[in-house]
Order: sequence, then C-alpha cells, then structure tokens
Amino acid sequence: MGEPVVEVADLMKTFRVSEREEGLGATVRSVFRRRYRDVQAVAGISFGIEPGEVVGFLGPNGAGKTTTLKMLSGLLFPTSGRATVLGHVPWRREDRFLSRIALLMGNRTQLVWDIPAADSLRVLQEIYRIGETDYRRARDELVDLLDLGPLLNKPVRNLSLGERMKVEFAAGLIHSPQVAFLDEPTIGLDVSMQARIRRFVAEYNRRTGATVLLTSHYMDDVVALCRRVLVIHHGKLLYDGALAGLAERMTPYKLIVATLHDGAAHEDLGAYGAIVAREEGRVTLRVPRENVAERTARLVGDLGDRLADLSVEDPPIEEAVDRIFSGELPVATA
Amino acid sequence: MRYLRLLALFVRTELQFELAYRVNFLAELLSLVIIVVTSVAAVLILFAYTQTMNGWSFPAMLVLLGVFYIVQGVGELAFTPSFQQFMEQVRLGTLDFVLLKPASSQFLVSLRYFKLSNVAQVALGVIVTALGLARLGDELTLIALGEFAVALFCGLVLVYVLLLSLSTLAFWFVRVENLLAVYEAFLDAGRFPVDIYPGWLRLTMSTVIPIGIAITVPAQAVAGRLEALGLGLMVVVTIAAWAFARWFWRVGLRSYTGASA
Repeated sequence: MGEPVVEVADLMKTFRVSEREEGLGATVRSVFRRRYRDVQAVAGISFGIEPGEVVGFLGPNGAGKTTTLKMLSGLLFPTSGRATVLGHVPWRREDRFLSRIALLMGNRTQLVWDIPAADSLRVLQEIYRIGETDYRRARDELVDLLDLGPLLNKPVRNLSLGERMKVEFAAGLIHSPQVAFLDEPTIGLDVSMQARIRRFVAEYNRRTGATVLLTSHYMDDVVALCRRVLVIHHGKLLYDGALAGLAERMTPYKLIVATLHDGAAHEDLGAYGAIVAREEGRVTLRVPRENVAERTARLVGDLGDRLADLSVEDPPIEEAVDRIFSGELPVATA
Repeated sequence: MRYLRLLALFVRTELQFELAYRVNFLAELLSLVIIVVTSVAAVLILFAYTQTMNGWSFPAMLVLLGVFYIVQGVGELAFTPSFQQFMEQVRLGTLDFVLLKPASSQFLVSLRYFKLSNVAQVALGVIVTALGLARLGDELTLIALGEFAVALFCGLVLVYVLLLSLSTLAFWFVRVENLLAVYEAFLDAGRFPVDIYPGWLRLTMSTVIPIGIAITVPAQAVAGRLEALGLGLMVVVTIAAWAFARWFWRVGLRSYTGASA
C-alpha cells in the first residue's frame, strides 16, 4: 500500500442558516431582521483512504455525508480541520487537483439538456485538456463498460433516467480521475439499472485502480462494492472498518437459530428470547449480545435431545445498514 | 489561447442547439429586423420635423442608434444568456459542476451560453452605424473614428462588468433575475443620448447603471461632442469597474463555498 490518497483530520463544518417562523408576518419580519442558527453538519471527523480502495460512506439523511464529499472535492471550505486529497488541499481548488478528481451527484446533472452528450464530452475534453488519443481511449473504455452504444449521440432530453445516469458517469469520468467521489449514484434508478451501475463502478475500480468514496441509500450498493465502510451520524464518525464487522457494532443483539426434532415442533421458546421467525421446526430468536452464551447454554440444557441443531448468527448486514439509515443507532457504540 | 478554443467550442455547440430549432431561430431573426427597421423609421420621422435634437444631428442619432443595437445585441448574444443560466445553476446547485472544473470559473460562467440569433442584431447595428458614419462625411476624422472604437470597446466591457456584478449577487440572494430586468429597462432608455434626459436620470444612467456611458460616449466621439477628458475618464472607469467586478466575483465565490470573505 502506498501513501493514503485521502487524509482527513478533525474536519468540521458549521453552517449558518437563517430561521423563520411560519406565516406572512414572520416572513416580513425576517426580511428586516434575520435570525440565524448554527448547524453543525460535520463535527470533527478523521479517516484515511488508501489508493484503489472502494469505501462506502453511510449515514441517515443530514448526517454530513454530502458536506464531507463537498469539502473533499473543494466545493466547500471547512470551518476547521485539515484534509488532503492526492496531496492537495482540496478547497484551494488548484487546477492540478481538480483535473485528477471527480464528484458525481446522482440527483444533479452536468449535461446540457438539448444537445447530445458527445458534444458535452468534447467540451469536457477541452476544459480538462485531454489529448486526442487519451480522450478516445477513455471514451471508448467508458462506452464499453457502460454499454453506451448510440446513447452518446442522442440529445440528453431523449434519454431515460437510467440512460442519463450512465451518460452522466461517462461525462464525470472522461478525464480519468484518480479519485472519484460518488454521491448517491444510483438514486431513483430501477433495480436492474442499479445493478448495472454497481457492476460498472466495481469494474472501473478494478481496471483503472481509481480510489472511490461513495455514499448511497441503497445498501445493496455498499454490500456489493465496499469492503470498508465509514458510518457517520450527526456529523460524527461512528464506525470505520470492515463491512463484515458492522453488524456486530451496529446491532446490539445476535440471532440464535434452533432446529427442533419433529416431536417438539410445538415447543414455545419465547422465554429464551424474542421470536423473530418460526417455520416448521426452525425457530429464530433475537437475544441481546451479552446474554447469548447464557441463553444458548439454557436452551441446550432445557431442550436436551429434542434439539436437532443450534447456531448463533450475526443479524444480516442489511438490518444493520437499515438501522443506520433510519437513524436509530445504539448510543453505546459511539 | 486555450480559452479562445473553448469559446469557439461553446459557440459551436450553441449553434447546433439553435439549428435544432430552426423555425424558432428564423422567427427571432424576423422579429429583430422588424424592431430595428421601425426604430430607424422613428428617428427618420423625428428628423423630418427638426434638424437637431438637443444638438444631436440626424447622422449622429443614427450612429447612436447603431451603437445601441450593437451594445444590446452583444449583451444578448454573449452575456445575458450565460448569466441567466448561472442564476439557474446557483438555484439548482449545478454550479458545483462548474466549480469542479480546472478552469477559470468566471470564464466558464460568463461566456458559456450564447443566443446566436442576436448576431443579426449586432450586424444590423453595424449597418445603421456605418450609414450614420457615412452621412457624417467630412466631419468624421480618423482620430474620431479611433476614439469611437475605444469608447465602443469600453462600453461593451462596462456592460459585461455590470451584468457580472449584478449576477454575482445571486451568491447571496439566489433569485436576482429581476435585476437583469432593471438592466434591460435602463438599456432601453439608452437608445436616446444621455444628455437629453433630466439631470437626476442622466446621473443614474451614467454612474449607477453605466448604460448611458456605454452607448452615448462612442456616438459622441464621432459626433464631435466628446472632450478628450471624457474618453480618458471612460477608460479609467472601465478598468476600475473591471477590477471591482473581478474582486466582487471572488468574494461571492468565497461566500458560496463558505470560506470567510
């Protein structure tokens, strides 16, 4: 592993937002005297990303994900803290820095509505000063990876949402950035198009070695692409580590799956934990982490040979991620 | 050099776009011709009753009208379409894409979109100006012509600077389209020489909103109504206004990105 591509230390961003009550009177008053409130969007986070990593950035709406991405791509000036991306301080917005990064936003488009994307790509070629051979290579590779076919030559307004997102990726990555920040790249797309974009990001990362930091609302994106995740909530970093370890940290319980012999299928196991599923002779119980050993022992002791099989599992990663997005995070893990 | 190439590319994409809507394009051309012809006719009628208007002769008025159409035409051709888009981008948040590009944001914002049908208006303005200049005949000196060119260039820069500064306000107030409407209203008043207006209005038109200067001074140059000080002052004011607008833009940008301004 080389030098970290992204280094963030105590990064903080506070927004000053104007407040106003409902109603016409309050609106008129607010024209003359505005009241402000400070909102801490990012409350001091630190992390580093190695070259070629694909890292998922998770958190509920308003957690500070987009604000962080905007600071790392130089669009926002932090209130305090340090960050370097590819050795540059992002918010100085040096041309040499900007031509090596990309920020794609799933809910915004940089393409011109009325002209084919191919023309927008040519403009980007000139802005990024891409030589003709490099340009062709990058374009052909993106056409191939995204299966763009004739899409580049249709006016953007005639494309479907999914097609437009594919073309958006082509425009966003035409300058072969070394670091790509993807903000909700699959938002609003149907399931098969989401899968398609996901495959593309994985393949793009594999082929070019570009470092990717992505936020997404669809945990499938994260599960499919990221071995490592950062969880942010209320502007604070709650978890930084392997996706596999996330469930352990984020869900304060485990699942005990007990399979009973035919004769004991009627057995009520509610006393050992909350029953979350019951099918045939298989009962799944939810048990607080700290009680797992004791409950397992009791189950084995009480049921004896009526028990055919017993296993202890982590809750599915989906559940952990769902809890993150709905904002109900265990306080103790912070 | 790179920016010139970019500019050519922007114009080319715009041309493609406008040609995609040919009927619209032709209708715009037609309406332009009608507007210019009728306003020239209005001046013709006016001068059927009088030889001079507050010291302005018929040829000088033609030059003024021509300059008015050139300035308005260039404004609508090259400046206002981009600034309107810019305000839209601030509102929608797509300005971020502009700021992510490794090139001057002021350039990318202000010279990105064009309304090419206005080339016709500029051309008509040039024709009307040329007609007026030809009628001036012997009165016209080479020096006056040079002063005219300098004043016209400064006038165009002043209009750009004015629009840039008005648009920069969008960084704080988001919706400032109506300020562009104010610009258009004042521009419209510029089709008559500033010095026929009452004092207070003349002052506004030549200082607060420098449309009056932008259009009247070039015409004054060829009509022999310009003191040497006037042109020098215009050059100084233009340079100062340019410097101010660039500074103001950077302040606006810093405020947008949250850097303490």
